[in-house]
Amino acid sequence: MAEHYSSFERGGRRWLLQRLTAVFLIGVLAFHFLLLHFANHAADITFAGTQARMSQVGYFATMWLFLVTATFHGVNGVYNALVNQGIEGTQKTAVKWVLVVASLLLVAQGTRVALAMNGFL
Amino acid sequence: MSQSYNRGTVEDFGRWREFSAGMWAWIFHKFTGWVLVGYLFTHIAVLSTSLGGAELYTNTLQGLEALLVVRFLEVGLLAVAVFHILNGVRLLMVDLGVGLEAQDKSFYASMVLTGAITVASIPTFLGGPLA
Repeated sequence: MAEHYSSFERGGRRWLLQRLTAVFLIGVLAFHFLLLHFANHAADITFAGTQARMSQVGYFATMWLFLVTATFHGVNGVYNALVNQGIEGTQKTAVKWVLVVASLLLVAQGTRVALAMNGFL
Repeated sequence: MSQSYNRGTVEDFGRWREFSAGMWAWIFHKFTGWVLVGYLFTHIAVLSTSLGGAELYTNTLQGLEALLVVRFLEVGLLAVAVFHILNGVRLLMVDLGVGLEAQDKSFYASMVLTGAITVASIPTFLGGPLA
């Protein structure tokens, strides 16, 4: 058996959430690429087409969950990479809060964008 | 049964010639992760043009898509995303303890498959009207 290497504290909540979001993102990221680059060519995208997709409740919910899970997975991954590089103490706390604020701003802005796309805003 | 290898730390990039497949997988996963999270913020910034009205959104997206460099960047983004997905599946398998003895082979398979999917996608990405 190989030794167990992980960037996370074993059994931690962030470890589990990183894996659970990964499973969701594998499917949704592939769907997103296929739909907007292969089924519909990106060059042909118009606001009307985007609005038609975002007006479907299931599509809107999937895309909003995509935003939230991708933000968590990405920002948690960045935090993890920086911890691997050896940041600690005040630096670690500062990085954590900068990333938390950046995530909240991204989700807030992404939500505004989603609501503009479905015609609510 | 249990065997340990002292390969040093993967963060010590200066000794990259000594890195094993698993260490390269770790580095590529981090690199592609940084690119994807950077793209996520950029993507939301570009899509924010929807807040400025339908015309601004459509013109911005179609204007970007008319640039050849954007098409090539999209191919690069696909390569990065496909590798991150495939290696992510590999990592989930490693975490579950499935196929540990073949973890180096599955890394090479991820690389080959990423290359094949990327090359196959080029006609789709470069097709369509350009400026």
